[in-house]
Amino acid sequence: MDWKGYTVIYVVLFVFATAQAVVEFAGLVDSAYWAAFGLIMVLSVIKAVGVAAYYQHLRWEPRAVTYLVLGGTVAALALTGAAAYSIL
Amino acid sequence: MSQEHEHGLPPKSSVSRWFLTTNHKDIGVLYLITALFFLVFGGVLALLFRLELISPGADLLGSMGYNQAVSTHGLLMVFWFISPFAFGFANYLVPLQIGADDLAFPRLNALSYWLYLFSGILMGVSFFQGTTFAGGWTMYAPLNTPAYIPGEGLGATSVVLALIMFTAAVTLGSVNFLTTMYRMRAEGLRMRDIPIFSLSINLTVWMMLFAFAALLAALMILASDHILGTTYFQYSIDGTTMATDADNPGASLLWAHLFWFFGHPEVYIVFFPALGVMAECFQTFTGRRLVGRKWFIISMVLVALQSFVVWMHHMFLTGINLPIKTIFMATTIGISLPFDLMVFSLIYTMAKGRVRFTTPFLFSLGALILFIIGGITGVFLGAIVLDYQFRGTYWVVAHFHYVMVAGATALFGGLYYWYPKITGKMYNETLGKIQFGVYFLGFNLLYFPMFIAWETPRRVFVYPDGLQIWHSMATVGGFILGASFLLMFYNLFVSLWRGEDVGPNPWEYATSAEWAVSSPPSLENFPGVPSYATGKLEFLDDETVAERTERTPGAAAHGHAATDGGTATDGGAVTARTAVTATAMETAHEVGGEDHASHASFWPFLVSLGGFIAFLGLSGVRTGSVFYLSIAAVGSLTMFGSLVGMTREPFHAPEMAIAERWPFSEVEKMKLGMWTFLASDIVLFGAFIGSYAFVRVAYGWTAWHHDLIPAEHVTMPGLINTYLLLTSSFLVVLAMVAAERESKRGTVAALVGTFALGVGFLINKGIEWNHLFHISTETFPNGWNLSTNIASSTFYLTTGLHGAHVIIGLIICAYMTVRAWNGAYQGDDRAIEYFGLYWHFVDIVWLFLFPLFYIL
Ligand code: HEM
Ligand SMILES: [Cu+2]
Repeated sequence: MDWKGYTVIYVVLFVFATAQAVVEFAGLVDSAYWAAFGLIMVLSVIKAVGVAAYYQHLRWEPRAVTYLVLGGTVAALALTGAAAYSIL
Repeated sequence: MSQEHEHGLPPKSSVSRWFLTTNHKDIGVLYLITALFFLVFGGVLALLFRLELISPGADLLGSMGYNQAVSTHGLLMVFWFISPFAFGFANYLVPLQIGADDLAFPRLNALSYWLYLFSGILMGVSFFQGTTFAGGWTMYAPLNTPAYIPGEGLGATSVVLALIMFTAAVTLGSVNFLTTMYRMRAEGLRMRDIPIFSLSINLTVWMMLFAFAALLAALMILASDHILGTTYFQYSIDGTTMATDADNPGASLLWAHLFWFFGHPEVYIVFFPALGVMAECFQTFTGRRLVGRKWFIISMVLVALQSFVVWMHHMFLTGINLPIKTIFMATTIGISLPFDLMVFSLIYTMAKGRVRFTTPFLFSLGALILFIIGGITGVFLGAIVLDYQFRGTYWVVAHFHYVMVAGATALFGGLYYWYPKITGKMYNETLGKIQFGVYFLGFNLLYFPMFIAWETPRRVFVYPDGLQIWHSMATVGGFILGASFLLMFYNLFVSLWRGEDVGPNPWEYATSAEWAVSSPPSLENFPGVPSYATGKLEFLDDETVAERTERTPGAAAHGHAATDGGTATDGGAVTARTAVTATAMETAHEVGGEDHASHASFWPFLVSLGGFIAFLGLSGVRTGSVFYLSIAAVGSLTMFGSLVGMTREPFHAPEMAIAERWPFSEVEKMKLGMWTFLASDIVLFGAFIGSYAFVRVAYGWTAWHHDLIPAEHVTMPGLINTYLLLTSSFLVVLAMVAAERESKRGTVAALVGTFALGVGFLINKGIEWNHLFHISTETFPNGWNLSTNIASSTFYLTTGLHGAHVIIGLIICAYMTVRAWNGAYQGDDRAIEYFGLYWHFVDIVWLFLFPLFYIL
């Protein structure tokens, strides 16, 4: 990828970060907490995938590297999810 | 041999050799000897408390003495003996079995060893800090936070820090082994074809990579509660009452979840290498290939995966809900199924072959029998209703000793099995068999009565009077078991001189590659480049290799040399972060160099020594003592200086010219090392974020923000920091583009920009923290600091860990900027790319910390 592509990604990341703050400033966190929660986390996930895919070049690496990363992520999510569920 | 032939290393007879070596076989031997030392250390403690248990009551060691002996015995055996012992073999044998000349990062391997040794020394030193750790090997919190530890509790803190250091060693080792096994297999050697011991190590290391990252998170949080005064595990926030009020209802379950998420994979981490040894010995001494080898391997893979989803069977008696208990009962039953398969495979191998009852075989067979007993009794524990009875009793003690020490039994078999390979001498077979007899008798006399006396509560020195006979039997068995080791040590020691010389292969049917070379193997392992391309092991000469690589240019494209090295900052739990810096710093170095440079390095030793001194200092800083503060400073400086020295030392470990690299053939070793490390870092941060989510759910997710967080904690500083980090990530990418285009000015400018933005991030954070520390509101009259409540603790520690990552990144960035200024990286942007992988990861973590800690 050349610098133009990287710049596009950068602009998208910047806008999404701003959008997350706007969700809060617009009062959505107070009025509809779980909707805001979902929206904000989805934005974070998209940003993270963008950074990983383009800045860390995962898109162009063999899939095995992505699986390695996913393995760690799934392990962490399993811990978080099951632990939280266990006390609900 | 001349020094040149020995890669710049002094001869083995010289003491300095052992401080300088980075060779995998030397380090393997060091691991074996050190682990046996810790076996004796932990064993003597066990004999002490077995003596105590001759009668109910603490009349020998005293109650605190008993608790210390039991706790440190468990920790020493599980952490400092059994896995390092297995990794002694792994170090020695994996490169030989897969056809590599060493591990991928030899200096990091030495660093792992020295960190391990010094972590054990720190554990030893803790005995002299009043009392050492006394709260059980599972380290349950809040029990093991300073508030509930009698006295100053510095020894307990030291043990927690020692474990952090140990975990750093394990993480480095995992990265190293995985990179080695995926980048350095001999041509034609597919993953599924590598010898079963190496395969078992491969799976062990995968489990280690993720499980120990969770343990590291748990330990860092515990250490922070000890040293920094956070309140993750505190029930009451004012510190004066021990009320189990609503301030932090997740406190006690948090540790259990973190620890057992690590703890269950850990039991397989302990057992898998033993399984590998058993399979090797069964094959060699029955003269038969493992029956159903493919299914054996599939079973191992399944168990390795499943091991991460059974941890709550250790929590059946806690307040977790019934549905989740039921799910975990089912997964526990599920994990015993593949094990059955493996056991049957071993039994069939034996039935179909012609058994030779040598010492290694006897130990392997003994291990199988013991493991079957241990496994069956484990299934009892996995049933919720039965566990209600058994939990906290000697049934559990008997169960896990049957399985864990079965693992150790197989490893002792491995010691006999590979002794001729490592020393070039044969041990005394008769004595070996006698030892096995004594060992097996002692073992069963020690542990079987525990099943009968199962009603004894564990970790306690009193028990019902009627059970005394069983406990006395166990004590006698313990001494018999201990005595059997005297036979082993005598046999192995004397055979070094009196043993018969052996050739490459003293075992008729041993087939793995280590038996194809001399005993002991030469420093470079093989007489040529190993290859299985024709279906059997051959050694190619340089010419053939050159020809081959010419024909397939892709294969040789990665054949350049790289250096390995490291650096880190001090403070906090940064030794643990050595891994990242080491991997990243390595990339900061110019790529390229001659082949036969020195493989001697003193830096790994010095780094670890510095880390040891720093951690010893850290254990006492909460007392404000000048002594502790100053050694913390001295140690940190030593460590940091040595890391810089290590980074600057030229050290070349070239990638193999031709090798089998599926599935990472396009990912050169530095990059693979970095990614592997980052995967473990994901779990580390994941466990931190998971802890935050857990205690917040326990408290009440939405009430949290309102009750515990001051209105002064606003979104803006977080948003600004998000912008700063995103922009700095963008600049790293631009630095890469500039280096590719050979624009020195562009590279330097982009790196300087990255650095400046990172510093801006830290300054902004500093201002924010300082403000929050000193607010004075109605709810928070004394500021909002680390100890204020559970929300402040999670906020400062999690973002603090992230900040520490930023600091490490900045140090690397500064180093690279200077190098870029001097003209490095032009036309070869790989070093910047690898640094970028780390920096972008730090960025990604922030992308989640920002909403979780600032918005939601
Ligand atoms: C055959 C499969 C196995 C099953 C179903 C099983 C099941 C269990 C269960 C349910 C417990 C918790 C008991 C309690 O605390 O109430 C337990 C404890 C334990 N198991 Fe196993 N286990 C198995 C194999 C193993 C193996 C292979 C090892 C190690 C090599 C092992 C090591 C341990 C240890 C160390 C503990 C005690 C932890 C503590 O200190 O509380 N188990 N096992
Ligand atoms: Cu378990």
